[in-house]
Amino acid sequence: MIPEALIERSLNHLLQQTPGAAEALIRHAGASVRFDLTMAEFDFRIADDGCFSEAAVDVPDAIIRPTPALMARLPFFGHEALRHADYSGDPALLATLDRVFKQLDWDVEADLAPVVGDIAAHRLHALGRDVLAGIAHTAAALGHNASEYVVEEAEMMARAIDVARFNREVDALADDVARLDARLRLLETRQSEQDAQARSA
Amino acid sequence: MDKTTHFGYKQVAESEKAAKVAEVFHSVAAQYDIMNDLMSAGLHRLWKRFAVAQAGLRPGMRVLDVAGGTADLTRLFLKEVGDTGTVLLTDINFSMLREGRDRMLNVGKMPPTVQCDGERLPFPDNYFDCVSVAFGLRNMTHKDQALAEMHRVLKPGGRLLVLEFSKVWKPLEPAYDLYSFKLLPLMGKLVAQDADSYQYLAESIRMHPGQEELKTLMEAAGFAKVSYHNLTAGVAALHKGFKV
Repeated sequence: MIPEALIERSLNHLLQQTPGAAEALIRHAGASVRFDLTMAEFDFRIADDGCFSEAAVDVPDAIIRPTPALMARLPFFGHEALRHADYSGDPALLATLDRVFKQLDWDVEADLAPVVGDIAAHRLHALGRDVLAGIAHTAAALGHNASEYVVEEAEMMARAIDVARFNREVDALADDVARLDARLRLLETRQSEQDAQARSA
Repeated sequence: MDKTTHFGYKQVAESEKAAKVAEVFHSVAAQYDIMNDLMSAGLHRLWKRFAVAQAGLRPGMRVLDVAGGTADLTRLFLKEVGDTGTVLLTDINFSMLREGRDRMLNVGKMPPTVQCDGERLPFPDNYFDCVSVAFGLRNMTHKDQALAEMHRVLKPGGRLLVLEFSKVWKPLEPAYDLYSFKLLPLMGKLVAQDADSYQYLAESIRMHPGQEELKTLMEAAGFAKVSYHNLTAGVAALHKGFKV
């Protein structure tokens, strides 16, 4: 009950903040959309005003499956991450949803302004954006450092280039073995022919 | 012979229950909000806000607040539906409705207010986007009929919210019983000078169907995707269902 209401309110809030987003969905009013998060499914119907409304749906018109990997990437890659979700159903509806989701943008400043005032909202938003960017940068740097340590210093894992070279060498060895095998079979055939001729002579 | 139904722990003729409930609420109307705050330590306000958050309302929507009494939910609904939406405040009890209407007037709002029975709603079919009944269903004589009426007036896709006292978490039952049957009537006597009415409130809560039973009742009335959420360890529960 809580996740559905939260998703519904959040999505509708974003739709109302993004010019043209709800209007784009109005032509699909009545269509149903399922967000399939593997562990849970959330069904919504597009209402007459273009907003999402929680609904009881047997067979939805479109299904969106944001994979766990996508959910983990969402905070860092935003709209780009959504490209990796699985979509199925009505192509026209999916095309509209894809376009709308790409447009969605949370105007944090507008939401904060009534609570803390315009100036504080602007500064808090800037601070939040910097902090998030800092966290993302730090996470990327730590990840890079960790991979460098594991690959270069501890040599617990091979570099991609080394794996590729190893694969190439294995392929070359397999080819050599195949050629040798063919050569041996040829020699064996010749030998058995010579043995047959010697016996008949 | 007239069928009987429960009125608290007593059995009364079905035809008498509505009048007896009306008597209780006439008696407590003026002190209802103060008592609610005292009885629930203010939690009823949070429960109602939670219910409104689950309603999924947007500007322009049409909402029916059944047994709306002192208009707590109506006031919150009005904020959600804005000037383009409508919230209808209804109650069977004139004293409670008058309290609600006056409170709304005091905050500069004048929602349409209708005195009517929740079991016979005077509204057309498929009319509301959302119907709510908060702490009112347990006082209705025929809950199945009331739920069927709410289902009738909802638009397809509309939702019903039932906020009601429910079955508390088992380990807390002894403490809850002590509170309900000893402290609650005492508070009623001290604050509202009306111990009997608050004794009835405690008894009616115990006689009301639990979470699963109410869910089954809602499904039997035609609601789909019925779910509930326990509030404060089941002291209250919010049930939600959709008309398909």
